[in-house]
Amino acid sequence: MIVYDKNLLDNLALVEEANSLESAGFINKEQRNLIKKELPAFKRQSNILVRIGFFLLGAFLYLSICGVIALLGLTGSNSEHTFLNICCYIFAAVGFAGAEILANNKYYSHGLDDAFILGAILNIGFAIAITTEGYELQIAIFTAIASFVMYRRYLHLLSLLVFCLAASAVLFYGMFELGEIAKSFLPFVVMLVSAGFYFFTKRILNTLKQSYYYNGVLLTNSFCLILFYLSCNYFVVRELSVQLLGNEILPGADIPFAIFFYAFTFIVPVVYLVQALKTKDRIMLWISFLAIGFSIYTIRFYYSVLPIEVALTLGGLVLFTIAYFSIKKLKDNEAGLTFKPDRINNSNAILNAEALIVASTFGIKPEVKAPISPMEYGGGGFSGGGSEGTF
Amino acid sequence: MNKFDDQATKALLEKNLITENQYQEITSYRNLNIFSLNAELKLFLYLSILLFTSGIGVLIYNNIDSIGHIAILSLLLIVIGVCFYFCFKNSKGFSKSETTFEHPVLEYLVLAANILTCIFIGYLQFQYQPFGTHYGLATLIPTVVSFFCAYYFDNKSVLTIAITGLAAYVGLSVSPQDLVNNINFHQDQTLSYSAIVLGVLLILWTIYSNRIQLKTHFNIIYLTFALHIISIATISSLLEYFEQGIWLLFVVVLAASSYYFYKISHELKAISLYVFMIIYAYIGLNIFIVRIFENIDFSDVWVLFIMILPVYFIGSIIMFIKLIKTFNKEIAA
Repeated sequence: MIVYDKNLLDNLALVEEANSLESAGFINKEQRNLIKKELPAFKRQSNILVRIGFFLLGAFLYLSICGVIALLGLTGSNSEHTFLNICCYIFAAVGFAGAEILANNKYYSHGLDDAFILGAILNIGFAIAITTEGYELQIAIFTAIASFVMYRRYLHLLSLLVFCLAASAVLFYGMFELGEIAKSFLPFVVMLVSAGFYFFTKRILNTLKQSYYYNGVLLTNSFCLILFYLSCNYFVVRELSVQLLGNEILPGADIPFAIFFYAFTFIVPVVYLVQALKTKDRIMLWISFLAIGFSIYTIRFYYSVLPIEVALTLGGLVLFTIAYFSIKKLKDNEAGLTFKPDRINNSNAILNAEALIVASTFGIKPEVKAPISPMEYGGGGFSGGGSEGTF
Repeated sequence: MNKFDDQATKALLEKNLITENQYQEITSYRNLNIFSLNAELKLFLYLSILLFTSGIGVLIYNNIDSIGHIAILSLLLIVIGVCFYFCFKNSKGFSKSETTFEHPVLEYLVLAANILTCIFIGYLQFQYQPFGTHYGLATLIPTVVSFFCAYYFDNKSVLTIAITGLAAYVGLSVSPQDLVNNINFHQDQTLSYSAIVLGVLLILWTIYSNRIQLKTHFNIIYLTFALHIISIATISSLLEYFEQGIWLLFVVVLAASSYYFYKISHELKAISLYVFMIIYAYIGLNIFIVRIFENIDFSDVWVLFIMILPVYFIGSIIMFIKLIKTFNKEIAA
């Protein structure tokens, strides 16, 4: 099913390993360059900026090809109506063809191939939407199938993400089809399904033989974790039941099983956090951080316990204390859980973004234009509350 | 822990690409089972500073009339004083090269102290106008303080605040989101001239500090700001003021800056500068082409135009792939 040469995929893993060993200082640069030279490799862009750039260019190319086809179709065919009905299928075929050509030329996670693969999936979604006149369940099913095929053929992680989203959509709309009772059990079903798939993918991870499937399975596994948390988050359940089911929640009343959801909103992130630290699972750790942030947001959304500025100030102080004492405790650990930077897997990329965040939240703005408001003085600190309220 | 990493190391050993010794070293390090929370905890410190200062800012803004001014000011002063006290006590003093604090928390205390100082001065100006109507002075002082902190404590985040302050002094808002939304140059064409001058000054400063070896690791930040300020100013001028023939001047400026950043990105091996330089140059080139073909009546040839477009994009893609490839080759050498 995979279009790529398996040797190249194995080489890719080796080169990646050599890169991380080089940045960890176990091997030197000459040795890494030698390894790179020895092993034939894909044409790929590891720098995310370059990859985004090529993605945009690829998207332009794709659009311009579709433009030519649309032009020929609209002027050449007798009936515009038929052409409009089938144009998305043609566009999707263009995407498949483009992806296939690029893959045969050994382009892998390059940016250009991303544009064609994602474009093909998108167009299939549109095409089905036009044919079925917007029948959500069928759109979701076909998108899921298409994206899964794309993943299996091109090992394209973003398609797998699309597949996960589409598959959850299938679950949602499928439950809607089943009727009223099924609707009210939706959160529980989603919880069960995501938990089931979590353990299923976990098992696959443990028995997996081919290294090139590792990232994909890991992605699905993490997706299940997130979906599980969201399906039992009070905010999500309540808002979705208002939005999708049309349940009106009267003042004083609450959604069914409210206590259960409240409890899970807080228990789940803590369980994730403890489990992540125990099993040394970095992805789960990050998910737990985000989940804790979202849980705090949930509570603040329904009960404004403190005014926002006091909450921010106190939150800052509490977070500072937690971080300070954790650093103090972990500072001298040589093995296991530690504050010392890991030589091999460091997540320094986030820290590099710090300066950017500071510039965007606290940059000093010119005040000549509107000297009436103090907003202009200290910078975004005054106005930047909203988005940061989640923590 | 990813079992495939181990396998990959083993495979490297089997292919004789790493030595037995290296393999031993790597596996013994892996067996330590290190799980580092370095980045996470630093991020927490950072977030806590952002939350705290935002909270203080909003608090002061909301209660500007209710709490006594003196109370607010003295409270702020105390907090600032405490922060600076710890920073100075633990600092190794000024050095021309890169320095770090022994304890990572201090780096973030510097940031907190700096932001709070800016808030303090802003509040002071709002309430008592010590600088009268010299609003420029009210931006300049936080800027100077920030530059001092940035250089004394060697703090990149503070340096970005200082640069935004400097730009604010000339009347520009250069925070990333404002640059992207391009809010500066709509009303006032002269602003784009000052932006270009500011960018050039930043570049000159990097050249000078290179010569006297003063905090050379700051250069990339200055250059990043300079690149974005100059390019966005010229591109938005290219789009808006093309009637008077003045746009040719901006084409020249953009071409010159692209050339300079082409050189400097190779020198610094900075792919981020290189990529953005290419993107801006490409946008500029396209605007230039459109301007040249402006006089042609498109109603006749638009079909041909759409037909040619894919070819044009394929051509650009090939060119970009070449550019990136040569860059990667040159920085690897």
